[in-house]
Amino acid sequence: MKRIMIDPITRLEGHGKIAIFLNDDGSVANVYLQIPELRGFEKFSEGRPAEDMPQITQRICGVCPEAHHIASTKTLDDLFHVEPTSTAKKLRQLLYSAFFITDHTTHFYILAGPDFIVGPDAPPAERNILGVIAKVGLELGGAVIRTRQENHWIIHMLGGRAIHPVFGLPGGVSRGLNEEERAKVEEIAKRSLEFAKLSLKVFDDTILKNKEYLDMVLSDTFTQKTYYMGLVDDNNKVNFYDGKVRVVDPDGKEFIKYAPREYLEHLAEHVEPWTYLKFPYLKKIGWKGLVGGKDSGVYQATPLSRLNVADGMATPLAQEEYERMYATLGGKPIHHTLATHWARLIEILYAAERLLELSQDPEITSPDIRTIPTAIPDEGIGIVEAPRGTLTHHYITDERGLIKKCNLIAGTTNNYAALSISIKKAAEDLIKPGKEITEALLNRIEMAWRPYDPCMACATHSLPGQLPLEVTIHDAKGNEIKKLTHGT
Amino acid sequence: MKTLVLGLGNPILSDDGVGLRIAAELKNRLSQQEATIMATNMAGLGLLDLLAGYDKAIIIDAIQTVDGKAGQIYRLGPEVFNTTRHAISPHDVDFATALELGNMLNLTLPKQIVIFAIEVVDVDTFSEECTPEVRQAIPVCVEMVIREINEDLDA
Repeated sequence: MKRIMIDPITRLEGHGKIAIFLNDDGSVANVYLQIPELRGFEKFSEGRPAEDMPQITQRICGVCPEAHHIASTKTLDDLFHVEPTSTAKKLRQLLYSAFFITDHTTHFYILAGPDFIVGPDAPPAERNILGVIAKVGLELGGAVIRTRQENHWIIHMLGGRAIHPVFGLPGGVSRGLNEEERAKVEEIAKRSLEFAKLSLKVFDDTILKNKEYLDMVLSDTFTQKTYYMGLVDDNNKVNFYDGKVRVVDPDGKEFIKYAPREYLEHLAEHVEPWTYLKFPYLKKIGWKGLVGGKDSGVYQATPLSRLNVADGMATPLAQEEYERMYATLGGKPIHHTLATHWARLIEILYAAERLLELSQDPEITSPDIRTIPTAIPDEGIGIVEAPRGTLTHHYITDERGLIKKCNLIAGTTNNYAALSISIKKAAEDLIKPGKEITEALLNRIEMAWRPYDPCMACATHSLPGQLPLEVTIHDAKGNEIKKLTHGT
Repeated sequence: MKTLVLGLGNPILSDDGVGLRIAAELKNRLSQQEATIMATNMAGLGLLDLLAGYDKAIIIDAIQTVDGKAGQIYRLGPEVFNTTRHAISPHDVDFATALELGNMLNLTLPKQIVIFAIEVVDVDTFSEECTPEVRQAIPVCVEMVIREINEDLDA
């Protein structure tokens, strides 16, 4: 076994980096994934009024501000010991469903779509949304834009502005819906539902009916058995907004189910010297290194994980599609990471059905949108499902409600270990002694990363023209022999 | 001519928010007739929604170049739309692609787009303050944008 040298890292660059180290014979020795971490959030929050946290935390990330906003709002409910009114909870879920539709739609058509709809080995210049639209047609392209716009309109209308909603308050929300607005949301929900169905048909036609792609989805290169995590409701159905965190083992059996308040009993964080980002793992199993399986505390929290931990979907059409996915791909749980794209589309369908349900709920236009908190704040924990995984916020305040301590576990953080393993596996399978390392091969390695939709947008400084993902290949002495940057 | 001035950035990530600060200053200096001022941390397709319906867009964003000098201001044309911090996104398309898509879908996008990019230093630390060199660039850039708009009005 050769000793692997890592270039000394004094300062992480702002983009995600995959460093692949080779043995003398050209086979893969090791793979490192580095995700940048921003500095000083805890210090930044210290001494600020807790009520500001939904506004502040949503600015951490340019990609999923709504997830932080809602997680933070729920943390305030807990912190101020206040139960939101029924209408307030429904309005939060309505906004959150609209958000899931926009976010997942962006991922499927812009990030995942090019790999399948245009093709995994297509020239990079064509492997983008323009190539996708060239294949699926302008009409669907227009529907992608419209679906995003309309659902953003819902968020805008409730949040009072286009991004960074000022909406969630401890015990409720700042604004309700009138009948005219409700009717408009209902129309958008109906159109979004049709769009979700259409997107699943695109998935069927382009991926499931293509034997080469289906084989790739089922291949060992893109398969990883770990524990899975996700929020479930009282009936163990997928829920984005509320419930208990359920973890199943690689056989699909329930391992733990915990309330937000208990998260520290079940999760711990492992530190590696080559990265600032910590690796959360299941405390009861323990950290066994970057390996999967039942004896390793590594877990995944992705759209596919959410479906794996649940007993089903809470809405009828999504449930049908859920059953079809498991029947097609060989039962539960599914360990094929590329199936995450299918799971994501099922979640769009669910979010659209939920949006429609909520828009037709007689209570949704009620003016009873807030319970005024009266208790003294101390400590609060709030958990939601962000599009990229389980998102936990935890604040401790003094009796005036000023932040003393704040801890966040973001969606992608959960998946850091699993992501690293998936990339390593793909690199090991695809890079072979004597085989040229091409752009197409790089893209296949990236395809192991894409299903997780890892979020680094909050720290993407990059040199001109580059997307913030870089793959470097190093020889046995640690010298960089090849550098491939996505998008150039 | 309907002009949009769009500041991009994150207000709590040190220098990253410089575009937002310049937009905020411009709001005090320009009338609604001269230009519409907006600020966002959106990227990619999200920007498309904001640009639709304007004749001209002036975008203000942070940039990091090799060997760049902090506080330096660049006036960039449409050929470099994939260079500034918020014109690109790992979760979305870059700005050039977004524009191409918008044209493909027949959206009414500005015929003229100009980017003012400010060379930044620290974009990893949570803070509401810019670093000194970048802070000094703010009034300079404000004047550059006003001149740009006045030239259009005189033309």
